Amino acid sequence: MAFAWKAAGLTYNRYLAVAARVVRRSLKDDKRLAAEKRGEMDLRFAKWENGKQGENKNLAQANEAAISEQGQQGQ
Amino acid sequence: MFTKVARPALKAGQAVASARLPVNAASYATLREIEGRLKSIRNIEKITKTMKIVASTKLTRAQKAMTESRSYGQASNEVFEKAETKPLETEGKKTLIIVCSSDKGLCGGIHSGMSRWVRRQLQDKPNVDLAIVGEKCKSQLSRSNARQIVLSFAGIGKDIPTFADASAIADQISLLPGDYASVQILYNKFLNAQTYEPTVVDAYSEEAIAASANFAAYEIDDSVLPNLREYSLTNSLFWALAEGHACEQSARRNAMENASKNAGEMITKFQILFNRTRQAVITNELVEIITGATASEES
Repeated sequence: MAFAWKAAGLTYNRYLAVAARVVRRSLKDDKRLAAEKRGEMDLRFAKWENGKQGENKNLAQANEAAISEQGQQGQ
Repeated sequence: MFTKVARPALKAGQAVASARLPVNAASYATLREIEGRLKSIRNIEKITKTMKIVASTKLTRAQKAMTESRSYGQASNEVFEKAETKPLETEGKKTLIIVCSSDKGLCGGIHSGMSRWVRRQLQDKPNVDLAIVGEKCKSQLSRSNARQIVLSFAGIGKDIPTFADASAIADQISLLPGDYASVQILYNKFLNAQTYEPTVVDAYSEEAIAASANFAAYEIDDSVLPNLREYSLTNSLFWALAEGHACEQSARRNAMENASKNAGEMITKFQILFNRTRQAVITNELVEIITGATASEES
């Protein structure tokens, strides 16, 4: 079973997030504002190597970059 | 006649008075000091009281979010319970522990409780990697086990954790290069408003799911397995984050309550000291005035 989004390099979580965003955006205005708060994510992360903390990066951007990279490898 | 005789005595009295003056001055100073301390303690009490109120209102929201998120985690764990999935005990492969703390302090020992748990675990089996959510546990564990840390996340704990938070963290974790035999999520389990304890939830690897005893009961395509693994990791993470958040708020509420109580005790203590010192100063002054008056009368 091959999924189109899998071929594009998306993870299942990413696929879910996109689907959820679409649903939230298609809600009525009053409900949408409350719902869109649930979709917010503002995390930073850092990779560690040999006991040293690496650079603090924005998680959302890093995830997108990783996914597009995987997508290119898949093609 | 009398004055001449009295002079040395007066002098001595003056000497005593001048000797007492610095003492007097000191007592005035301590009076002011006590006043200053009282004021600052009152301010601290005000702050801790406000923080307690904020934490209590946040706590009710966090508890609601926790009960809601519990169904996510339990629903996804139901599958593994029915399938009797167990973490694989393979030698040589690493275990990943995801520690769910937060960025903020002032909430008693909930972060250090988790750090202690991790340290104890690391003594038994050193072949473990750590992914840490939240600054507090990161700074604690980076002092002792910096080499084991592979990932750290910051920015959690401002508000109730969302599913988007959990899925972003899960994505980043699944991008990790290492091949982990089992992934454990460590979080503070919310027992009641006063107690919590560090607890572990297992997130299974694909092999572990495939090797589970009743796996045949579910018709799962092999290509769907990674999805299930990712999704269940996210679910468990979301649950753990929400429960940890609720614990943190309740712990903060308790900590702030204790702090306000302590401040109140200190205030009463200092108030009594202040009153007593003031009274002593007044009495002292009165004694001086009276002695002065009688002395001048007699002269």
